[in-house]
Formats: sequence, structure tokens, C-alpha cells
Amino acid sequence: MTRSGGIAVLAVLAAQVAAADALRIGDRELGEYLSSECVTCHQLSGRYDGIPSIVGWPPDSFIAILTDYREKRRENPVMRSIAVKFTDEEIAALAAYFGSMAPTTGSLAPKTD
Amino acid sequence: MTELTRRRFTAGALAATGILAAPAVARGKGKPRLVVIGGGPAGATVAKYVAKDSQGAIDVTMVEPLASFTTCFHSNLFLGGFKGWEQITHPYKLASYGVTHVRQMATGIDRDKREVTLADGTKLAYDRLVVAPGIDLKFDSVPGWSEAAAEVMPHAWKPGPQMQLLKAQLDALEDGATIVMVAPPNPYRCPPGPYERASCMAHVLKAKGHTQSRIVIIDPKDRFSKMAAFQEGWQKHYPGMIEWMDPKMHGGLKSVDPAAMTVTTDLETIKADLVNVIPAQMAGRIAREAGLVNETGYCPIDATNMRSKLDPNIYVLGDAAIAGAMPKSAFAANSQAKVVAMMVRGELAGARTFPARYANTCWSVIETDDTIKVGGRYEAKDGAIAEVEGFVSKPGEDAATRRQTSEENIGWYSGITADIFG
Ligand SMILES: Cc1cc2nc3c(=O)[nH]c(=O)nc-3n(C[C@H](O)[C@H](O)[C@H](O)COP(=O)(O)OP(=O)(O)OC[C@H]3O[C@@H](n4cnc5c(N)ncnc54)[C@H](O)[C@@H]3O)c2cc1C
Ligand code: HEC
Repeated sequence: MTRSGGIAVLAVLAAQVAAADALRIGDRELGEYLSSECVTCHQLSGRYDGIPSIVGWPPDSFIAILTDYREKRRENPVMRSIAVKFTDEEIAALAAYFGSMAPTTGSLAPKTD
Repeated sequence: MTELTRRRFTAGALAATGILAAPAVARGKGKPRLVVIGGGPAGATVAKYVAKDSQGAIDVTMVEPLASFTTCFHSNLFLGGFKGWEQITHPYKLASYGVTHVRQMATGIDRDKREVTLADGTKLAYDRLVVAPGIDLKFDSVPGWSEAAAEVMPHAWKPGPQMQLLKAQLDALEDGATIVMVAPPNPYRCPPGPYERASCMAHVLKAKGHTQSRIVIIDPKDRFSKMAAFQEGWQKHYPGMIEWMDPKMHGGLKSVDPAAMTVTTDLETIKADLVNVIPAQMAGRIAREAGLVNETGYCPIDATNMRSKLDPNIYVLGDAAIAGAMPKSAFAANSQAKVVAMMVRGELAGARTFPARYANTCWSVIETDDTIKVGGRYEAKDGAIAEVEGFVSKPGEDAATRRQTSEENIGWYSGITADIFG
């Protein structure tokens, strides 16, 4: 019990540290500037009027999805052209920025697929 | 008074921490001043973002006579009956970010003194000026037409009563009517706009059960934005109703006659029931009078930051600017505004700046659940704004794609209007 319990606790701790790192590593000022482009379509309030909400997501799924658009593994041409020239650092900055916000309206339904 | 005290305190605190690191532009005492002429997608977005992100360190004044702004974008949806007037009209809610909205026209810019004169004679000093007046119409570019003639043959290419006039004329048509649209030469506001408009007009006629009415487009261009997808859509939804004529077919527009309601080309004289004249365009008057335009009638800018090539204290953006590969659209104006806001904060408040990124997407409604799009991402390259990646809807796309594109268009409108006005 003591041994495996300790490992489990460590694993949880490690996961929390990783998540916190992702949030911290993302450059907030860079994220803020880059995010101004996104809010033309994705509302900061989290409201859905035909374009999905992107606020309050866990950084890792946010990063995975933007990377998929960049690598053209996801279809939408609008998002592909938005993501085309992003560096990993820029994607992390965006994940940190939007991840740190809470939606004020609409449903929070982050998709991870 | 409370406001003043808070602002002084903020400025003082910022100066103490060294954030206010732009002594060269601090004119006299007080905070650095940004004046923005025009409260459209370009100007209002700059004003909001500078005020919001500088948190009181920069004094932001927006000069715009209107109290609420009716958007040209989605005005074709108004024309088509998809949206009401109130859905495309937005009161400014920028005061909460710290923007001072002066409801007047700017009548002059003294670039040496760095002062803007307003219609009532007031002068506003600036450290940086943003000029975003949009376009003016060239009323003399179509023989026989004039500003007065636009009361009979509307342009509806600026928001306001002209759009309501065009809609009233359209709604009054009986079956068998002939509509003539005179399309504009490049470069003009919203490249796909005339063709979306023709689609929305056809939607109204079709919905009223017209089988004999037709829409003739007299175009000075031999091709247009999203042409293949538009023409396929017209054939599909409105077979035989929309007839597009390029210069090879009509031989050139000769004149229009508002009294006789005729349009004459080299080929023929058409008697019409509704004539929509969309004339040639140029940068708004204030930009021309301040000497910010070149021989094209629009304002040359530095592609890396939208700064006027003719005055380092002035930024020009939106429809008035020469933005290279970017079209004159609200999306583009809003995108450029974020670059300008960042650069202004960099200059006046020492904020960090990053390389400019520009983007655009223009959606166009062909019919209910059938919307197409064109867009791209842009960067400064060899002195101009160039496209780095682009896309356009293709003929033959499935219904699900077109329906999703329709939803995006509605979602985008909510997003961008919240971003600009409130
Ligand atoms: C039919 C139609 C459909 C369109 N559809 C789309 C679309 O789907 N998507 C899209 O992105 N774009 C679309 N557009 C284009 C879009 O409307 C313009 O590109 C956009 O409005 C440009 O913004 P702007 O701020 O540069 O100029 P404007 O919107 O013209 O705003 C300029 C403002 O400046 C003010 N002003 C001018 N001179 C002065 C002065 N001297 N002092 C003070 N204030 C002044 C005016 O009152 C005005 O409010 C469409 C346009 C039309 C006509
Ligand atoms: C021109 C409008 C537009 C802009 C600008 C835009 N997006 Fe998107 N975004 C969309 C649309 C439309 C979708 C849905 C696409 C799909 O179905 O694949 C989407 C999807 C997404 C998704 C996936 C959402 C989900 O639920 O699957 C993420 C994450 C995202 N965008 C992030 C961003 C970021 C970050 C930016 C700014 C750098 C941005 N977007 C800018 C239109 C836009």
C-alpha cells in the first residue's frame, strides 16, 4: 500500500506539474496578441453562434488540435490557414492564454478528439 | 474627478515601474494621446484594443459622428430578408474600455502641428493618429449618375438609408422585373459583395414566386471573386435569372439615365425596374485632403505595421489603405487593427511588439444553407502585404460543407461585431 500509493501520488503530482508548466511556458503577452486574431471568430465569452468555443480548455488538447490543423490532419480550410505558420511556441502561448480564461456564457464542452 | 485621479495614478505607477518608456512622444505633460478618425471595423477596433490593453496609459479618442454603426457586412443578408436591420446595427460600447467617443466629423489634419480639427472647430492634439475613414464613392465614374441620382438608382455601398432604399425597391418588384447592377472596377470594398448581392436579390425574387424576373450584371471586369462557385450556385438555385456580362459581351458601359430608368452599353439599352450602381471608389475624403493618398486614390502603408508611408505619426488601415493582397473587407480591417493597436502601444507605452500577422475570410451567401468562402493568411514580404496561404470554396462541394460554411458565417458575424463594438 505505502509503495504503490506513493507512486500514484507522485504520478498525480507529476501530471499537475506538467500541466502547470504548459500554462507557464506559454508566453502570455505573445498569447494575448495572437489571440486577438482568434476572437474575430471564436467569442471570448465562450458563446457558440456557429463557431466552437475555445476558452477554458486543457492546454494539451488545445495544443494537439491546433497542431493537427497546422499539419493539415484536420479539414477546415479556415483553421488550416490560421495555423499554417504557427511555431510550437506560439501554439503553447495560445493554449496558455485561452486555457487561463473561463467562459462567461455558453456551454463548456471541450472536445479532445 | 475620480476618473482623472485614477488615470493619473495609473500613469504615475506605470512611469515609476519604467513601463512608460517612450519619452520621445510624450508631448508636454500628461499621457500620450492617440486620436482615431473613423469608428468602422478598422478604427473602432484600434480604439478598443489600445484602450483595453494599455489600461489607461494612453489617452484614446475616437472621432466618429455615428452613435451606432450599421454594418455593410451582412447588409446583403438584410436585403435578402435573412436578417433584420436591428441585427446589423450596433451601438458603440467602447466607453467601458476607456475610449472617449467624440461624435463629430474630423474636417482637417494639421500634420506639422499634429492636430485634428473637428467640424465644430475644436482641435485635438495627437502623438499618434489613426486614419480609418473607409471609402468614398466616385459619383462621376458612371456617366449620367450622380449623388442625387443615387436616390433613384441606389448604390447601397455605404451603410444607412441607401441600403433601406435598395431593399424597399427590391421588395416592391413584380414578376417580370428587370434589375440591372452596374458592378465596380477594382480595387473596391468587398470583392465578392456585388455577386453576393445579386444572389440575395435572386433569393427574394424566387421566394416571391417570380419566374420571369431577371438580374443583369454589367461588369467592367472579366472575372470576379469566387466566380466558379457563384456561377454554379446561380445555375443551381436561380436557373436563368442572373445574367453576368463581362466587357467582351456588353462592350463597355456608356451611361445610365435615372429619369428614363435605362442603362446603355455598347451592345444595347436596357430598360430596368431597379438599377443598383456600384461605382468606382477611393479612400475617404479626410485621407485625401491630408495628402495621405498616392496616385491610386488610396493610402500607401508600411506592410510591417500599417504606418503611412507619407507620415510616420499616422497609421492608415481598413478600406482606405493599400493593403497589397488583402481585400477591402471588415475582416481585413479588424485584422490590421490588431497590428496597429500593438504597434501604437509599443510606441506610446513601451509594450512588447511581435511581427505582424494578417488574416482574412469573406463568406458569401448564395442561398439558404449555401454559403461559400474565400480567405487567407498574409505577411509583409518585399515591402507589400503578401498571401502566405489561401483557400476558396470550390464548385461541387457537398451540402453539408455549404451548410457548415453558412453556420461559420453567422458565428463569425457575432464574433467580429462583439470584438469591434462591445
Ligand atoms: C454590400 C457589402 C457587403 C460586405 N460584406 C462583407 C463581408 O461579408 N465580410 C467582410 O469582411 N466585409 C464585407 N464588406 C466590406 C466591409 O463593410 C468594409 O470593408 C469595412 O466596413 C471597412 O471598414 P473601415 O473601418 O475601413 O471603413 P468603414 O466601415 O467605412 O468605416 C469608416 C467610418 O469612418 C467614419 N468617417 C469617415 N470619415 C470621417 C471623418 N472625416 N471624421 C470622422 N469619422 C469619419 C464613417 O462615418 C464610418 O463610420 C461588405 C461591404 C459591402 C458594401
Ligand atoms: C475565420 C474564423 C476563425 C478564426 C479567425 C479562428 N478560428 Fe478556430 N475555428 C473556426 C472554425 C469555423 C472552427 C470549426 C472547424 C472545424 O469544424 O474543424 C474552428 C475550430 C477551432 C478549434 C477546434 C474547436 C473544436 O471544438 O474542435 C480550435 C482549438 C481553434 N479553432 C482555435 C483557434 C485559434 C487559437 C485561433 C487564433 C489563432 C482561431 N481558432 C482562429 C474559425 C476560426
